[in-house]
Amino acid sequence: MKHMELMVGNKAVAYGAKLARVQVISAYPITPQTTIVQYLAEFVAEGELKARFIEVESELSAMVAVQGASFAGARVFTATSGPGLLLMHHPMMEGSDLPVVMSVVHRSNKSMQPDHSDLMAQRDNGWIQLYCENNQEALDTALMSYKIAEDSRQTVPTIFGIDGYILSYTAEPVEIPDQEKVDEWLPPLKAPWAPDINISVQEWRRRQGRMSGSQKAWIDHDTKFRNSLGIIKEAHASFEKTFGRGYGNGLLEEYNCENAEAVIIAMGTIASTARSVVDDLQKEGKRVGLVKLKCYRPFPAEEIRNLAKKYHAIGVIDRNVSLGSNGNVFNESRSAVYDMVERPKILGFHTGMAGSEVTPQIISKIAEKTLKSIKEPVDPIVEWVGGA
Amino acid sequence: MSKPMPFQRVEGEEIMALGNSSCQGCGHAILARIAFKVLGKNTVYTSVPGCIWIALQSSIPLYWRGTVFEGGGALISGISNGLEATGKEMNVVGFYGDGGTADIGLQALSAAAERNENVIMICADNEAYMNTGGQRSGLTPIYASTTTTPVASESRGKKSNKKNVPFIMAAHNIPYVATASIAYPNDLVGKLQYAKQLKGFKYLHVQSTCPTGWGFDSARTIKVARLMVESGMWPLYEVTEGNNFKLTYKPRELKPVKEALSQQSRFRHLDEKEYEYIQEQVIMKWKQLSEMDGKKLPI
Repeated sequence: MKHMELMVGNKAVAYGAKLARVQVISAYPITPQTTIVQYLAEFVAEGELKARFIEVESELSAMVAVQGASFAGARVFTATSGPGLLLMHHPMMEGSDLPVVMSVVHRSNKSMQPDHSDLMAQRDNGWIQLYCENNQEALDTALMSYKIAEDSRQTVPTIFGIDGYILSYTAEPVEIPDQEKVDEWLPPLKAPWAPDINISVQEWRRRQGRMSGSQKAWIDHDTKFRNSLGIIKEAHASFEKTFGRGYGNGLLEEYNCENAEAVIIAMGTIASTARSVVDDLQKEGKRVGLVKLKCYRPFPAEEIRNLAKKYHAIGVIDRNVSLGSNGNVFNESRSAVYDMVERPKILGFHTGMAGSEVTPQIISKIAEKTLKSIKEPVDPIVEWVGGA
Repeated sequence: MSKPMPFQRVEGEEIMALGNSSCQGCGHAILARIAFKVLGKNTVYTSVPGCIWIALQSSIPLYWRGTVFEGGGALISGISNGLEATGKEMNVVGFYGDGGTADIGLQALSAAAERNENVIMICADNEAYMNTGGQRSGLTPIYASTTTTPVASESRGKKSNKKNVPFIMAAHNIPYVATASIAYPNDLVGKLQYAKQLKGFKYLHVQSTCPTGWGFDSARTIKVARLMVESGMWPLYEVTEGNNFKLTYKPRELKPVKEALSQQSRFRHLDEKEYEYIQEQVIMKWKQLSEMDGKKLPI
């Protein structure tokens, strides 16, 4: 029988970590991530989760501590938001060889409300970035993150994000997978890189996956990181097969696109609102669908090119801005299709910044403009919407 | 409390490989040789940026991990917890310099001590940021000439006193705090052996003389280190069980600080008034420490 429970996003995240049987947790409280830490501390205090909790004095130490524990061979978890994530930047860059899993509860750099500027600021440091649309996806993505990060072929640190407040403090029904089923699907971490007195230091050194010291190290790191795209798809397919729930192909999901001439791309909770918007528009005979982008790093350029072959226009909603440039997803989507002979129109929309509300009306306006761009030139190509 | 022991009597094999890329006469190489022989093979040690990582890491064949400059205290905490969570018993050691301990690293170090993590933390104190070319640190003594406190018409070297990190650490009420010097290996060995068998946070602050940064002939590393202790510039003591204070080296009479400082070109510019200030500070501090000897610290 399905075990359903009404829970806020932060509890779903904490449940994910608990079901994954994490062994070492370290985190520092910050709004709106705080209750994840509290739920986990309760699980540990009540003996429901057998884990060690390192109560650090900063996010930077939280990151270094879980990296240390991961190096020692333990399955680890941490979580943060906005400014806390920015403080972690240095060790995230430095220790990106270890299978650390982190949840980010999005918080803007200009308010405590959500946008994706916090996680987008970490886009270049070799961490997989997965964005979640609802609380069920948060729990499921927590589990998938361990499968991805700890893959025996290569270990890559993985972040999954949920929008602060909109998910973190909002209750939704969530199905909690069976612990035995999770245990079978996600066996304990094997860490050949961990110190072990039974193997010689020489042999141990050969097992280290660190990449540093030269340009070749960057090339190797980039190659390895790009390989993660395949691993994410595999882990997702295996999750879907085992638990009966899926999220597109693990990288992105096309929704109500069968008859679409144009699509809009959205991430996180905006995708949830966008589903009902495209449903309504299609009922009116407007042929526009939704693409939910789940994986932003590594960037699924091939998937974007496949969209470009099928649709005449793509409207990209960015809940972020690279100041002085455009939205990151817009820029990278355009770059991905540049070498195609027949390219679709790609438009950019900034919205939802600093938690400003993204209403169905806003998304509808974005979708209509995208559709219109197939037939006639539209101006401007990139615009800010809403947030008055 | 610790019992001094000659290095030659320490059981087990030498860990340090022959040859390393440190400066000639580097105190850290002596410290590493002693420390790792005492700690033995069942040890994970860690580095943050500094002379030890750059010059010695390749000649210390042990399980090792480095991290960001400001994260040393958190790294040893994480490794210790991770090893315990996976059922392994190993010594976990942070072996950091001035910056990684006293300055950029102090926050994470203090938090790790406050949590009483089961680790050993060794500060190799060479009294400046020597790896980047001898800039002043929080552990640089007053008046010392460094590359960021150069002596010139408007400057007499470092303006402020050395930060008393061993006492900061003692204020955390941890199982063990000790100072040591590379010139007193028996004392150092005894303190390391004592620390090794204790559970909880152990802090050893070791003065390690630096011919390059302090300005003396590389043959005089031990001699200068000994004079720093004999003059009372660097007192040797330990704090056990949270607050039992004990001097582990008590000369009948302190040598004048001038005898120690005049050996080092970083103090070459000192005038009589400046020598006098340092001498008075040392006498006052020595008196306070002697009065505390064998007593409990108010912690």
